[in-house]
Amino acid sequence: MLLELNNIFKWVQQGGQRVFLLKDINLEVEEGEFISIMGPSGSGKSTLLNVMGMLDTFDEGEYNFLDEPVHQLREKHRANLYKQYIGFVFQAYHLIDELTVYENLEMPLLYKKISGSERKAMVADMLDRFNIVGKKDLFPAQLSGGQQQLVGVARALISKPKLILADEPTGNLNSKQGEDIMELFKQLNSEGVTIIQVTHSEKNAEYGKRTINLLDGRMI
Amino acid sequence: MIKNYLKIAWRNLFKNRGYTLINISGLAVGVCCFILIALYVKNEFSYDRFHSNSDNIYRVWQYENYGPKEEFVNTTTPISMVNVLKNNYPEIEDGSRVYRFNALVKKSDSEFNEEIRGVDPSFFQIFDFELIEGNTSAPFSSANSIILSESSAKKYFGEEDPIGKSLSVEFDEEIKFFEVAAIAANPPQESSIQFDMLVSLENEALFFSERARESWFNVVVESYLLLKPNQSAAQLEAKFPTIIKQYLGDNYEEGTFFLHLQPMTEIHLDPSLPPGLEPISNPKYAYVMGTIGFLILLLACINFVTLAVGRSFSRATEVGVRKALGAFRKQIVHQFWGEALLITLMAVSLGIFLALLFQETFNSLTGKLLYIDFDLSFWLITLGLVVFIALIAGIYPSIVLSKYNPIEVLRSRMVKGASMGLFGKSLVITQFVASIVMLIGTLMIGRQIDFLVSKDLGYQKDAIVVVPTNMSGEEADAFAELYVAELKKQPEVAEASWSILSFAENGWVNAGFTDKKNTYREFAVNIVNPGFLQTHNIQITEGRDFIIGNASDAQNGVLVNETFVKRFGLENPIGKPYDKFDIKILGVMKDFNFESLNNNIEPLLLTINLDPIFKHTENVELQHTTQPRVSVRLEAQNMTASIATLKNIWEKTNPGQEFEYSFLDEALSAQYQNELRSKSVVNIASILAIFIACMGLFGLATLTVARRKAEIGIRKVMGATITDIVGMISKDFIKLVLIATLFAFPIAWWVMDQWLQGFAYSVGISWWTFVLVGIIVVGIALVTVSFQSIKASMTNPVKSLRTE
Repeated sequence: MLLELNNIFKWVQQGGQRVFLLKDINLEVEEGEFISIMGPSGSGKSTLLNVMGMLDTFDEGEYNFLDEPVHQLREKHRANLYKQYIGFVFQAYHLIDELTVYENLEMPLLYKKISGSERKAMVADMLDRFNIVGKKDLFPAQLSGGQQQLVGVARALISKPKLILADEPTGNLNSKQGEDIMELFKQLNSEGVTIIQVTHSEKNAEYGKRTINLLDGRMI
Repeated sequence: MIKNYLKIAWRNLFKNRGYTLINISGLAVGVCCFILIALYVKNEFSYDRFHSNSDNIYRVWQYENYGPKEEFVNTTTPISMVNVLKNNYPEIEDGSRVYRFNALVKKSDSEFNEEIRGVDPSFFQIFDFELIEGNTSAPFSSANSIILSESSAKKYFGEEDPIGKSLSVEFDEEIKFFEVAAIAANPPQESSIQFDMLVSLENEALFFSERARESWFNVVVESYLLLKPNQSAAQLEAKFPTIIKQYLGDNYEEGTFFLHLQPMTEIHLDPSLPPGLEPISNPKYAYVMGTIGFLILLLACINFVTLAVGRSFSRATEVGVRKALGAFRKQIVHQFWGEALLITLMAVSLGIFLALLFQETFNSLTGKLLYIDFDLSFWLITLGLVVFIALIAGIYPSIVLSKYNPIEVLRSRMVKGASMGLFGKSLVITQFVASIVMLIGTLMIGRQIDFLVSKDLGYQKDAIVVVPTNMSGEEADAFAELYVAELKKQPEVAEASWSILSFAENGWVNAGFTDKKNTYREFAVNIVNPGFLQTHNIQITEGRDFIIGNASDAQNGVLVNETFVKRFGLENPIGKPYDKFDIKILGVMKDFNFESLNNNIEPLLLTINLDPIFKHTENVELQHTTQPRVSVRLEAQNMTASIATLKNIWEKTNPGQEFEYSFLDEALSAQYQNELRSKSVVNIASILAIFIACMGLFGLATLTVARRKAEIGIRKVMGATITDIVGMISKDFIKLVLIATLFAFPIAWWVMDQWLQGFAYSVGISWWTFVLVGIIVVGIALVTVSFQSIKASMTNPVKSLRTE
């Protein structure tokens, strides 16, 4: 089992009242799954994704990731965990404008203290795999949205994560570009990478093997 | 529209309280410094301008040249000079001498040692010193009229009416009675002529011996001349040589003696001529202060610009909306300029308030009495200041902000640009260059002063108390002898002796003579009594010290220092006379610094009896009044109790006269007053500069962090740790500071090198001061920036990456 959420609650205090963002979430994810999370705006999709990515905390419940109790881990330990096993893909790509494609891809490796020659090989490998070798010296602003997201996915994959968390990865793309990205996900999944995506589109959700519906922070 | 601008401006200022506070307080500190320093500079440059005749008043100075190393420049002149010139040249309307002498002034029960000025009766016609009471039309109606300043009238007579009252004045061992004829307002601070008491020089015989009155080589008085309107001083100067030839007679030698006229208004700030009776200033100090004031103001303005540019982020949308709704670029420019003006006004008001608050502190730093005068010129300067700051501070933001393209701004919600461009970087670098130079200055000046104060001078200065007798003549010598004898009996007193000048006086008697080979030579002289060397633990390298009670020692025995022997080429000097002098050199003293460390050690001669020396000297130069001064070395225990003993014995041996004393080490530190003042001014300036620069840096860091918020979020998600992020943000700023040090070090080196050249003894420039300052500045910058960078790196990336 990759991860397991038991009775997860998350709330904020608003005017003396608890507003629940996540309510009693129970979820088990096996390695190799492809899950789509759906639901209307504000239903807690992104929050759930962030909790699973350990970027956000929760107030109650248990979260085990590869049999490590995340809710008991210290911040630093937790960071090491997600650094090693999780890759993120964002709707707005979040590439760094001042860095080239090559440098953007290299960045996560820098934070893992991987040696220079090894980094070079890994980036080259990734550029090759995504067919963007010719674009390696361009800056994000010089790429189309689809290409930017491609780089975003490549960056998420570069440190060989077990799990990819994608928050509306096609939200800013046209349908053709979106389809390309989804096909890419499908292919990655077939190679063994676990993928959890948040999406609004029924069509994209169908790429997943399982769909989770959220409403007001609750799984339905 | 203006109302709308004001509303927006006010709300913006209020919303960004942090920035507003940094902006206004930084500017206010700058304005405060600028105002106080402007006061100082204005004061320095306004000396002697209050006389209605100031453009036609000149001081006579003379230049004598008898060959290399025998040049003399004096701003005091022979006694008869004014009258000779007045009688010979119709261009001269009038003239007055100013003579300074010490006297003991008595009024029934109270007596004080005073410096009195003797002036000619035309003094009040030439100069605009105000007479406020008594005979204001002819104040010197008789030869024994005395005019008091307001403060000395108060000192002697309190609330009484002093006019017509009598004061006894004792000088040259004679007591004379003077009658208070008038009261003058205290002379303004910006005056090169100062006085507490004035007497008339009309009866010259009262003050000067006949020989002195006729000598053309005895410089005693300052001579001021009032030229008739439209007379040229240069033309008059050209006529002087004939008179000189006529009056010098046999002593005349072609090309040796010149008279010149110095405009009165230049006296205070012309260090190329020696000071006359009052100290003068080196304009260097005024320029340094002015530069510092201007720099601090500029640093504060730079802050304003960097912060405003950075803040343009949050204002971009507003600009976009305004433009989309039809605002012209000009209107946007106006709006931002208006905001700058609003902040400037607040800052200037606060600055004036701070200046009022700190003017006393500033006065104690500069040793002046300067107060803000809310007159027209003040308001004009303030207006200028407001316009200047608002222009500088408003120009860049208003131009940058008004340039935004509304469509881009509104569509993307994220503004590009507004980053720290080359311009912003150079501003920060400028700020740090100034801070680093000032900081190095602070450390170097501090070290130099410590060095001066703690250097081994070759004599003991600790635990020594100097007691001036404030008496003159044989009576004084007798008393000093008695007092020393009494003191030596006390257990608290280790050693005591008296001398005509003590170590507390910087500059002893200078004697000049022409030796047998016709070379002019100069040496310093002091009259001491035999215990002097023992009191100060001065070492003898050859021969012996004076022996107490030895009659021949007292007659013509002298001690000289090593420099004396070396400079004058003496060989085996012990027991021999020197040149024409009928003296016997008893011993050679190890060199010691009897003058302040601004000077090198000169030849020195100590004697008990002055007569054999003065018989053959041609020039004698005194910088202090001569009187027996008792130096006492105490057993270092309870100083207060020991002082009480000294006072006790004083009162027993000399009833009725005030006991004065000073600690030698304190008196010596006071010699470095100028240096101490520069130190405190530069100290404060550098702290302020660093403070202001750090505020700027803090603001910039805030803005950089805001701009790179998304990037920081991404990096964190990609696995960056807090250290990574802090390092990344700090690196950029530290780079700037390091570049600043590259510029600052050579500048600081040059400045300090110039400054240290003014000292005969200096610590030298040491590389570690620079390293230390570098580390300090980088450290401070790091701390400043890390407030923001740590905060940024701790933020949950989810927040900064949210796209909704």
